[in-house]
Parts: sequence; structure tokens; C-alpha cells
Amino acid sequence: MNSFLSVLALAALGLSQAHSQAIPAPAAPGPATGLADSAALRATVFGTPPQDIAPLPAKVPLLEMDLDLPWRLPIPEVFWFDKRLRVWLSAQDKPAPLAIVISGTGSDGNTAKLSTLRAVLYGAGYHVLTMPSPTFPGFIVAASSTGVAGDLEQDGHDLYAAMGQIIAHLPRKVKITEIDVLGYSLGGANAAIVKSIDSKEHKLNIHRAVMINPPVSLFSSVGRLDKLFARSLGNGDAGIERFYQQLYAELANLYRASDRVQLDEDFLLGAAASALKTDAQFSAAIALTFRIALSNVFFAGDLYSGAGVVVDPRHPPKVGDSLEKIAQTLRTKTFAEYFTRVFAPYYLKRRPNSTVESLIADNRLDVIGDQLRENGDYYVQTNSDDLILDEAELTWLKATFGRRIVVYDHGGHLGNLGDRQQVADMLDMLAGRWQGGAR
Amino acid sequence: MMRGRIEIRHLVAAAALIALGGCASQAVEFHRLPPETPAADNAADIAKMQKLAAAAALAQKQKAQAASGAEGAAAAEPPPPPVTAADAPPMKTYDPWGRLNRFTYRFNARFDEALFLPVANSYRELPSPLRAGVHNFFGNVAEIDSFINYTLQGRLGRTVRSLGRFVINSTIGIGGLFDPATKLRLPKAPTGFGTTLAKWGMHPGPYLVIPFYGPSTLREGIGLAADYGTLYVIDPAWIYRGDQSWGLGVLNAVDQRANIDFRYYSSGSPFEYETIRFLYVRKELIEDAGLHRQKPLPKADPNVPAGE
Repeated sequence: MNSFLSVLALAALGLSQAHSQAIPAPAAPGPATGLADSAALRATVFGTPPQDIAPLPAKVPLLEMDLDLPWRLPIPEVFWFDKRLRVWLSAQDKPAPLAIVISGTGSDGNTAKLSTLRAVLYGAGYHVLTMPSPTFPGFIVAASSTGVAGDLEQDGHDLYAAMGQIIAHLPRKVKITEIDVLGYSLGGANAAIVKSIDSKEHKLNIHRAVMINPPVSLFSSVGRLDKLFARSLGNGDAGIERFYQQLYAELANLYRASDRVQLDEDFLLGAAASALKTDAQFSAAIALTFRIALSNVFFAGDLYSGAGVVVDPRHPPKVGDSLEKIAQTLRTKTFAEYFTRVFAPYYLKRRPNSTVESLIADNRLDVIGDQLRENGDYYVQTNSDDLILDEAELTWLKATFGRRIVVYDHGGHLGNLGDRQQVADMLDMLAGRWQGGAR
Repeated sequence: MMRGRIEIRHLVAAAALIALGGCASQAVEFHRLPPETPAADNAADIAKMQKLAAAAALAQKQKAQAASGAEGAAAAEPPPPPVTAADAPPMKTYDPWGRLNRFTYRFNARFDEALFLPVANSYRELPSPLRAGVHNFFGNVAEIDSFINYTLQGRLGRTVRSLGRFVINSTIGIGGLFDPATKLRLPKAPTGFGTTLAKWGMHPGPYLVIPFYGPSTLREGIGLAADYGTLYVIDPAWIYRGDQSWGLGVLNAVDQRANIDFRYYSSGSPFEYETIRFLYVRKELIEDAGLHRQKPLPKADPNVPAGE
């Protein structure tokens, strides 16, 4: 549903051609949809059907925490609202383990997916802390020490430091017996890195980490999303506009055929199911959702690093200035372009002896491969039809995690998050009861 | 006397300074969310997902029916001419007052975060039958305005429904505190002067962010003012002009805010203004297309931004 709304939120377009690229973009092997088939694309967009969702407590207590973090960089004027890191806590009233859940690419700490995870974890007796992705603009501004998001190690350190601050400031009555971390999509990779950092620094003593639909190589996965975008929407403007026009016409027709006097949420929920029809449209919806997330990351990275791709570093935009042109341009920018023009120049300068190849390699899970293989406290849940993985990556996951991975047949990317089996297995993994998947 | 006054003023100022200073120096701030805020309300999330799934199933069924040639019951009126992709307005939105609008948007966001939303969240802690009573009461008062505007729009069936709702809810519903009309299959369908203007053929006009209120367009802004004026003149139950009108006005606003699931800048994005503007104006244009059901849409001109 979220992705559907984001699709409606494609807010503008631009005409900009790819620039000359001194730095080669990371290439993604395999098909644009990774392992996903038609059903997987639909599952990715619609999520778990309600009848398959694990039983949830109807009400969960919820506390919003806004934190000022001491290492925060000076705040650019256009980000005035992102000064504090916002996280959400659901606390038990007795001593309990704390489950920290990290959101997926570009998302905040209170998505519908996190609501589901929060509810099942709280129902199973955990204190639950949900956190934004380090690629969420609110995190980049309030908690990043660089402003240039997407580096597994750097983001891991920022996340780890933020967790330390949050835990130090928890209400006194919250008694924690142990700490586990989870994350979905990119958040899964973040969770594993955070645990590996903790195994050196021992500040939190994180016990177990569960990764749900994680990427194996960040840049292969996003490269696949670039391909998906190019294939379903073309390069840049015209394709997005066509897609928007189709959706607009579809919604207008459904609305005219209905007897409603307002275009409200109920109508949209109904329309969502029939507005997207073909594989290409589902692909476009998924690709566009990621593109919108990328726009924010790209904008922030460009602004903070002074790369000057879409923002003039000498005249950064101010409150009241129109951002329409920038938003338009950003809509045509790919993950590859973020890598070559913002990310790589920034990190190459700051990491002596690094190369483009080493940056790409550092953003693969195998940087902590030995730990993942040998330490029995890392777990993975994924699907055999996940669009962010290819065959080789799935094989690597299976070989690395052995009996600590479960691979479901269906679900695409996160399309089975919250279903009974996924939840039961996740809770078994977190509690150390997991006996290995017989599936 | 004089001295006392100054002291009180100083005390208030000092308290305000301490409060503000306190906020600024705190490393962490907590907000408890009442159980019915959308974030905490899993039951509501699940209900939403069920609706989505039901709609998907229905769409499947209709597709299967269409494929097998089994048509549904013949519609009373001919189907509206289809809207095609070429009829969609351009992605650009008409916003000649953009600079002012952006400042107003920021003002609204700050006002909401500092005062409006916290008050609405406290209000949500009240027992739900009480809040439902308040919501129904103001909804029933607004029915008068809907009745007038459906008449002006020439949609007499709707006028009768509005009147029916008002009569039933004002009597059986004890002055509008309950909503038995909805149970009698007369669901709420509010309208206003903005919609009347649309029915009369007026375009949305420039995008407009109204202080304290939020996204709108010139046409809807005029509509809102007219709706308020109408109720002010009629002054039902003396709630618009009596001594208590301020208090009731605030209660009305808080009730409305408590029923809107929106948080300023929860997107975290600097492009939120653009996104909301885009969505708001498209929503209004689709509603306009619904008002003129039998007419084909005017051909979209790619050079004229949406809403102009």
C-alpha cells in the first residue's frame, strides 16, 4: 500500500542526461527483477494478505522519542524539520529482552511493516524499539556523521552510536535483560553490521541478529533496481509521466464509476487493487518507490558533500525556495549516478588506499563473511523469489548461514513479512530455539 | 495592584523562558501516543489491509465475470465516457503563490507540532463514546450546509438524503450526538460551497496553503469561507455567535485534527511540499471529473499546469 501511495506521489519530472562518468558505475548481473516472477512482483506491492498475518495484540503502547545527537552536523536550512532523530519504543512493564528493529531503504521508524513486527514482538514479550533506516532523510540529518548515506560500515557506526544514546536515555522503568537486533531489506544488512561492530566494542552486548530479506551486495541490488526502472519506465521523464497519466486515468474512471462524493482513503484502498494490472506496471511501481527514496538520499548527499550535482554548494536552497526543479532532475537520477557522482568521490577522498572496486566490495555482506559463517547468533529469512537477489547471491547466503537461514518459496521482496510462518520462525530465531528449516 | 500585575507578567514570561529553554537543552523528548493514534492502532492497520484484500478479490471476480461474458445488472445511466491517459493534467501544478505558500506550510507544520497535534493527542485520551458524540454533533451541524449546497448543485436526491440525515440525527440521535442515520443506510456524504463552485464549472485555480488549515486551492478557500459564513448567519444552536462560540470552534477544530491521520514531515523529505501539492490538486481534479460524470474531460494541455 505504501508503495502504491508513493507511486501516486511521483511529484515532478526533469530532463537531464547522464553526465560523463569518470567513475564506472557498479554493474548488476542477471535480470532486472532478480529472482522475482509475476506473483513475486504482486506480493512485493501488496504485502501479506490479511488472512495470513500472524495474530497480533490489538493495542501496543507506544512512546515516541526525539533525540538530539551530539555528533550531528550543522543542519541545512531546507532540513529544518529533521533536527532530531525520532524513534519509537513499546516497553513492557516488566524486565524483558529489547528487540531493536531497523527499517528498510529510505523509510522511517514507523512504517506499516514495522507496525506489524512491533506488534508480534511486543506480543511475544519483547520491549521493541523501531528505528529509521540510515538512508531515511530524518536519520541522515539528525544522526549521520557524514550526510552521505549508503555505506554499510559508516551507516553501521552511526546506527550503533545512536542506539547507545537511545538506550542511555530510555525511561528508567524500562528494564532490559538482553538486546537483539533485526532489520528488513537494507535494514537487515545494517543489523548484521551493527552486531559485528558491537562484537568489537561491546557497548551494547547484542545477542542475536535476524536479517529479513537482506541484500548481499548493496550495489548489485540497487543496480538491479536501476535496471528495473529503465525497463519498466525508460530513462527519465517521459516514462514516469506516461505511468502517471495511466494511473490518473485509471483512478478517474474508477472514481466516476463509483457513487462517491469524495476521493477518500476507502476509495484509494479499493482502487489500489485494480489500478495496477501488468507486470510492467507492478515493476514500475516498485522501481518508482525506490527512486523516490533515492531522491532524498541523493539530495542530502549532494548537499552535505558539496558535490554540486543538483545543488549549487555556494547557494544552497532556503526555506521558501521552490525545490521543484531539483525534484524534477532527481527523478531521473539512478543509483549508479549517486554512486559515481556523490558517494564514490566522497569516500575515495576520505579513505586512503580505497578504490572504486574496494568501495563496491566493502558494501557486500561478505565483509563480515567469517563472522556470519562462524557465529551462531546471525540468522536470515529470505524468499527464493526476492527481486533484490540473484541465484549466486542466494547460494552464497545458503552456504554462509547453513542451518541458520530459512528460504521461503513465495513472497518476493518482503511480501510475506508478518505471515504466520515468517513470524513463528523469526521468534524462534530470536529466542535461540531455531532448529533449522525443514523447508 | 500595578505591582502585582507586573509580577504575574514576569512570572509568566519566566515560566515561558524556562519551558522553552528547557526544551532546547534537553537531549531527549518523549511523547506518549494514545492507543488510537494510527501508529499504535494495529487493529485499524489490519482493517485497512482487509479492505485492500477484499477490493483485490472483488476486482479479480469482476475481471472473471467480464471474461466469461456475464454482465452485471444493467446500469441505470449510460456509462461515463472513459478518461484516457491523454486527459491527465500535466505533472506540473499551478502555484503562483508558491513562496508564500511554502512559508505558510512551514508555519502550519510548526503550529501542528507545537500545539495542535499535542492537544489533539490529549483529546484522543478521552473515552471514545464522548469523542464520537462530539464528532457526530459537529457533523450534524455541517449537514445544514451540505443540504444547502446539494440544492445549489441541483443534486436533489442528495439534498433529500442530507435533510433525512439531519432530521433523523437531530431527533432520534438526540440533537446530533448519535448517528442512527448511518445505521439506516444513509451514510454521511458532506459537501460544501467549494464543490458547488466546481459543479458550476469553476476551475480549482492557484494552489493555496491556508494558515492553520492546510492544503487547498483558491476555489476551495472561497468555499470554506462561504461555508463558515453560511453557518455563521444561520447560527444553529447558537454555536457560531454565542459567548461559547470560541470554545466550540476550538473543540470543532480539535475534533477534526484528531480524525486526520497526517503528521507534518513524517516523510522527512525536503520535497514534502511538492508531494502534498501534487497529490492534493490531482485529488481535487479527479473529484471534479466525478462531478461532471457524463462530460468528457477537457483536453489536457501539457503547457498549462494542473489547476490553472
